[in-house]
Amino acid sequence: MRSHPLFSPWFSLAPALTIVTVLLGASLVYGVAQSLGLMSVIGQDTLSLDAYRNLFTGQGMAGREFWGSLAFSLWVSIASTLISSALALLVAVWLSERRGSGGAENLALNWNLAFPHLVWSVALLLFLSQSGLLARWAAAAGIIQTPADFPVLVRDRYGIGITLHYVSKEIPFLALIILAVLRTQPAGYDLVAENLGASRWQRLRYVTLPQVAPALLSGALLVFAFIFSSYEVPALLGVNYPRMLPALALRFFNDPDLRSRADGMAISLVITVIVLIVAAVSLKKGEQK
Amino acid sequence: MKRIVFLLVVLTMLLAACAPNTATSAQPAATNPPVATDAPAVPGEFDINNWDSVLVAAKGQTVNWYIWGGSDSINAFVDNFYGVALKERYGITLNRIPIADTVDAVNQVLSEKQAGADPGAVDLIWINGENFFTLKQANLLYPDWAQKLPNSQYVNWDNPAINRDFGNPVDNLESPWSSAQLQLVYDSARMNADELPRSYADFKTWACAHPGRAAYVAPGAGGFIGTRFVKGALFEISGGAEQWATFDQALWDKWSPELWKYFNELESCLWRNGETYPKDEAELKNLFANNEVDFSMTNDITGAGTGIAAGLLPATSRAFVFNNYMIGDFNYVAIPSNAPHKAAALALANLLLEPEFQAAQILPENGFGLGYAIDVNRVTDSAALAALEAASTKLGDSATPASDLANSLVGDAAPEYQNLIEQGWLENVLQK
Repeated sequence: MRSHPLFSPWFSLAPALTIVTVLLGASLVYGVAQSLGLMSVIGQDTLSLDAYRNLFTGQGMAGREFWGSLAFSLWVSIASTLISSALALLVAVWLSERRGSGGAENLALNWNLAFPHLVWSVALLLFLSQSGLLARWAAAAGIIQTPADFPVLVRDRYGIGITLHYVSKEIPFLALIILAVLRTQPAGYDLVAENLGASRWQRLRYVTLPQVAPALLSGALLVFAFIFSSYEVPALLGVNYPRMLPALALRFFNDPDLRSRADGMAISLVITVIVLIVAAVSLKKGEQK
Repeated sequence: MKRIVFLLVVLTMLLAACAPNTATSAQPAATNPPVATDAPAVPGEFDINNWDSVLVAAKGQTVNWYIWGGSDSINAFVDNFYGVALKERYGITLNRIPIADTVDAVNQVLSEKQAGADPGAVDLIWINGENFFTLKQANLLYPDWAQKLPNSQYVNWDNPAINRDFGNPVDNLESPWSSAQLQLVYDSARMNADELPRSYADFKTWACAHPGRAAYVAPGAGGFIGTRFVKGALFEISGGAEQWATFDQALWDKWSPELWKYFNELESCLWRNGETYPKDEAELKNLFANNEVDFSMTNDITGAGTGIAAGLLPATSRAFVFNNYMIGDFNYVAIPSNAPHKAAALALANLLLEPEFQAAQILPENGFGLGYAIDVNRVTDSAALAALEAASTKLGDSATPASDLANSLVGDAAPEYQNLIEQGWLENVLQK
């Protein structure tokens, strides 16, 4: 059966591969061309690496903001990924220990996955901004004097709002992945360790973590790649400066001067390369397990 | 096998995440095969010099109007006034396509051009300033029509504020719709008119006497009103607006340090100590309505009226201007060169200049709230003239008095300054 050509993995992947290759491939080719300064509508037909040179040497309008944006993007993506992975692990372990009442837990984990990121971040904005609901309630209850005394949690310089958003969205996602692994593992390992006198922490460290590590790592890298390259949340919950790379890329892609689009595209391609490196690393890791 | 699946998932997520940056622009190339250019796009041919032939060709067409859709009241105004009239008078269906930012329509036209899609999807764009600059630079606008509209007779084409758009010659490529002027808004329940700052220097004094109670919109994409506010300060500090109508690098190098000095001194007195700024007009309006700051900004000729009518501002809000350097301008509609229904687009552009609709567009209760594009003195029909004059008197207390507006009015700076100001502000004020 397995040898029949219809069951070759490439054949079954063909529909997905076609879509990805055509859409992503065409976008990439087009993006690379534009980042090299190809813009036929204004008569620019020669290739140049100016956009990249400016970015990496910190020259020009886009270049001067590039390294700061890259650092800020890495900070937000890494912080969000680490915090949500750690908390997701705790949530998953806690849930798997109380085996049985699956319905309520699944609901608790699934309900916010249904919200698109856009909706979730607008909700955070309405709740947490200085003119938001919580600020008004706190002021009405007399905890703070005016709504403006509420701490700056969204649209802040340090990316707290963006991180809060991703942590709250990605904990359930990662917890579900971990839980799926934990539920397929026999409870025996844990019980044996407990009988041998392992503490709660030791069991988490030496029994549970090795079991879930491959799944958690893949999930975390996916989450990192997503956060690093997504636009709408930093646009809504971030400040004008510092900006995450996707926000910076769109700024230059939409510049009235068509020649600036090369800068926007070059930034987008830097994002792409970083995400692909992350994917390659995670494949390598997966191979070693 | 697992590796491939994983890679696919990553690539798909990347694709989803990059959508606004790359996928949109490549979409037409990937999904719409170029349409054969020899196929007639418009069933009825027309001659722009023969208006009847335009109307005949337009009959039965659907005009796709790409228009900023961020205001419910403007959307309703467009549908209820122009949509209905187009159908009843010319048999044209209005398809209003709301966009978040005019640059989206510009990008649509650009990608169509790159994919060779002619006819395209866009018939008419509400446009001005830098977006007009982009399409003109790329040579993608239908040429030589604006002054051939019958109602173009009401437009004062000799006015440099009309025949230049952000200093860029209009060259008959776009036709005006309405006018706007920068104003500030205060709440008469919170402060008296005699306490209001009347210059940028006053504004700084006021802000530092009331720390944290003033803010302005961050210049830049979406914060176009903030850019305008900064330009006004440049005019005041350099002591004149006219010198900025043409681009002069030496002049900019001379005055820009003074400009950043002013805004840096102002910064520590602003809302949240200037750590961040409201991103757009809507955000500033919210802060103002929520009593976090004492001034908002508007470009509406109705002043605070449209905001009050929409329930966004307190009923006691009033608009005011400084004594000088309040930038005013016109906004336009343009037709892309690959528009599929040019005749219908021309009919709509002409309808926008019809005196009865010009009179309707300035009334706050109609929800549009921008000023006339036509010169009232050129209207000879007595009924139309009476309607226009009556409308101007109905603006009420929430609008800036017409004489104040006229006394403080200056034209915009040359388009080259736009990026210098936005990027310069980012680097010299926000990031400091």
